[in-house]
Amino acid sequence: MSIVTVQLGQCGNQIGFEVFDALLSDSHSSQGLCCKRENEAYQASCKERFFSEEENGVPIARAVLVDMEPKVINQTLSKAAQSGRWKYGQHACFCQKQGSGNNWAYGYSVHGPRHEESIMNLIRKEVEKCDSVSGFFIIMSMAGGTGSGIGAFVTQNLQDQYSNSLKMNQIIWPYGTGEVIVQNYNSILTLSHLYRSSDALLVHENDAVHKICAKLMNIKQISFSDINQVLAHQLGSVFQPTYSAESSFHYRRNPLGIDWHVRPPLSGPPSLSKMSLNKDLHFNTSIANLVILRGKDVQSADVEGFKDPALYTSWLPVNAFNVWKTQRAFSKYEKSAVLVSNSQFLVKPLDMIVGKAWNMFASKAYIHQYTKFGIEEEDFLDSFTSLEQVVASYCNL
Amino acid sequence: MRRRRVDPAAGARAGALPEAIAALSRSLPSGPRPEIFRRAKFDRPEATSALWQLLFRVLSPLPAGNALASIALEVQARLVKSALCSQGYPRLALAQLPEDGSQGSRELLLALSWLLARGPVPEQMLAQTRVPLGDEMTVCQCEALASLVPPAPHMEAEGPVDVRHVQWLMGKLRFRWRQLVSSQQEQCALLSKIHLYTRGCHSDQNLGHLSVTEAEMLRDPEGGQKVSGAGAAQNLDLAYPKGLHFCTPGMGPRTFWNDLWLVPRLLPGDWAAPLDPGGASACSLLSPLRVLLRTLERESRRLEAVLAWRRAEPVFWQWMDTVLGTCAPEAPAAASQPTFLPWVPECGDGELELVVRELQTLEEELREAVERRRVAWEAKARGCGRGPEWSAARRASRETVEKELGALQRCWEQESGPAPAHGPHRLVRREDGAAGDRDLRAAELIRTLRSQEACLEAVLRQLQGQCRQELARLAGALPGLIWILPPGR
Repeated sequence: MSIVTVQLGQCGNQIGFEVFDALLSDSHSSQGLCCKRENEAYQASCKERFFSEEENGVPIARAVLVDMEPKVINQTLSKAAQSGRWKYGQHACFCQKQGSGNNWAYGYSVHGPRHEESIMNLIRKEVEKCDSVSGFFIIMSMAGGTGSGIGAFVTQNLQDQYSNSLKMNQIIWPYGTGEVIVQNYNSILTLSHLYRSSDALLVHENDAVHKICAKLMNIKQISFSDINQVLAHQLGSVFQPTYSAESSFHYRRNPLGIDWHVRPPLSGPPSLSKMSLNKDLHFNTSIANLVILRGKDVQSADVEGFKDPALYTSWLPVNAFNVWKTQRAFSKYEKSAVLVSNSQFLVKPLDMIVGKAWNMFASKAYIHQYTKFGIEEEDFLDSFTSLEQVVASYCNL
Repeated sequence: MRRRRVDPAAGARAGALPEAIAALSRSLPSGPRPEIFRRAKFDRPEATSALWQLLFRVLSPLPAGNALASIALEVQARLVKSALCSQGYPRLALAQLPEDGSQGSRELLLALSWLLARGPVPEQMLAQTRVPLGDEMTVCQCEALASLVPPAPHMEAEGPVDVRHVQWLMGKLRFRWRQLVSSQQEQCALLSKIHLYTRGCHSDQNLGHLSVTEAEMLRDPEGGQKVSGAGAAQNLDLAYPKGLHFCTPGMGPRTFWNDLWLVPRLLPGDWAAPLDPGGASACSLLSPLRVLLRTLERESRRLEAVLAWRRAEPVFWQWMDTVLGTCAPEAPAAASQPTFLPWVPECGDGELELVVRELQTLEEELREAVERRRVAWEAKARGCGRGPEWSAARRASRETVEKELGALQRCWEQESGPAPAHGPHRLVRREDGAAGDRDLRAAELIRTLRSQEACLEAVLRQLQGQCRQELARLAGALPGLIWILPPGR
């Protein structure tokens, strides 16, 4: 079962490159800590999901690259080709020369419809190359204009044309003190549109990943490349093949087995440490949690702490907690663990963004740039309403 | 029971009867030993349970499986009785037999012969358990409808149901549905590949290409291959049979064989398990090819048994005449007997009286309530007036209903043409226009299904519209309340 990735905008394309690179280098890593047969099954599974084969054996990423400026795409394509181990398809990218000016409305209402046919054609070609598509993985940022606006537009199109496929959007949450002035507008418009048409939103906060780089990895001058690599590492350890509880004889066929809005909090690379449960009254209530364990001693790992019913909502009849395991180590780490959580972690950052956007909206700042391209005040109000509803439902878990 | 006319000369030689009974026994699934039949003629009790089980096996709609073996004898007996009764079995004595298998073997033997006389039972049993060598799918909805479980009895929830839980369940359902659809699409893509690549490889010109089962047998007769990827490539030479050629240049065989191992895991049902119980566990250690051969051999033996049975049948019927002769004559009131009554629990006379009286009072109350309602309605209806507007309105609504009904019927039956046959069909890939007369064309079936889908969608949209109107009405009924509907899909 294959995943087709759609990389949108500067952020999406840079991250996409890092993700494919991380996946392939892990797949080829020699320190898998498992037997040869296991390793071969792992490699075959990873390859089938994310890459297609060409005659000369170089895997081609199952990806479509979209940007409104040519610079980043060209960089991405050449970096991939230079590695020699994998590359992007020759005709898998679409770019223009204009850019979107960090304007969500421009991306959504102008670029989107104008280039709809070309972009959807590219996606369709990728889909036809797969024997079976388990879903789409769309990488985009919220704050800019291209990734966010065109991303929302493309996701909606995918919902219409491939209504039976799963879609997971990887969203980059901008820095709190980001440089794009209208990033909050772009964010709320993106989130409210995606909430309607996507199946899962996987959120990475720039601030959080920045902290990982600074505190856990002690990098002095943190560049976007460092951040992207950490991100890719996290995503890779989610997407690489695993066994789930039901089928312990072959790798899970559908990697996108996540159907809720998820957001991974910090997950450290080193060995699995015991979760120190906060005995406060204010638990961070989760709807569902997924733990993925890789490496040594996975069979004996103790995950009972995750099953505490106090962590979960009261209206679910049974704990929505899943564990996926594999002995095959990820990216040379002897042991690694990832937690993907659908919980109230999301509430505070979301509330903050909605609050800031509302303040700007109340004074009508920069609204004309959006109404110029067809996004009216009613659309803003609709977005606020949906997001308030999301915040309210999560608060009342 | 009328006697079957038989040719007295047929099968008069000695030894013909044991052969006939033996053939019958071999041709039926889990057929009992011929000795059982002989004992049953003399109504020996030890033959009873075997015959109950045989009748159950013949009458039950489920295919064979280990599940059947675990059903208790009493349950089997009860099911047999009700099935026979619903088919119109005339002899009362069977309905009155005890269900513990202690007596009645002669009655059961008579019932069996009644079934054999009505229809080709061994052939039907054989069709149920045949080995599918091709890739099959069913066209009619019968299986789906038959497997519909009646809805669970309505259970009162302990408290108000949390709507979030319901939303969560809906989400999960939608998710599972999509997974199912993508698995099916994958199966179709792979089937198509196999049919395409093995064009010209089948010895039967009519079929032209291999099915998954056949291709898998050629690729991996010993069943040693379990992992795809590098492993398959090594065995490629061994599995590459002479004369098998790939008709599409450029499509490397490697991916083809790689994909092939996926398909048996996707196919519904496990063809590799022998279809008669009793052989399943022993065969799981054998290679797939041997399992298939064994199953085919078993099927061949059953076929031969059926043929032998048909040749020897007259002898059996002569013998059955003698069995009927040993029974006491049945009362001729069989035709006027009511259908099999449900089993009423034994209760004392006093209790029965009480129940009867209660039912009578209830009936009275209901009758009064109906009368009151009818009077009230008529008064209201009269109030509407029998004027021209009333009859015009009535006529208009009747016309709309008729039109809607007609449209529904038309669109449902539109392009069906001759109804497609029931049961599974083998999938065969052919050039355009090469289909035979009795073959079902995929394009036609797709057209029929599409029109049915359009019908159902129209009905769905109408129902959704009604729901929306109802919601709007409810929202309007509470002034000062703002309803914000959840973001819909």
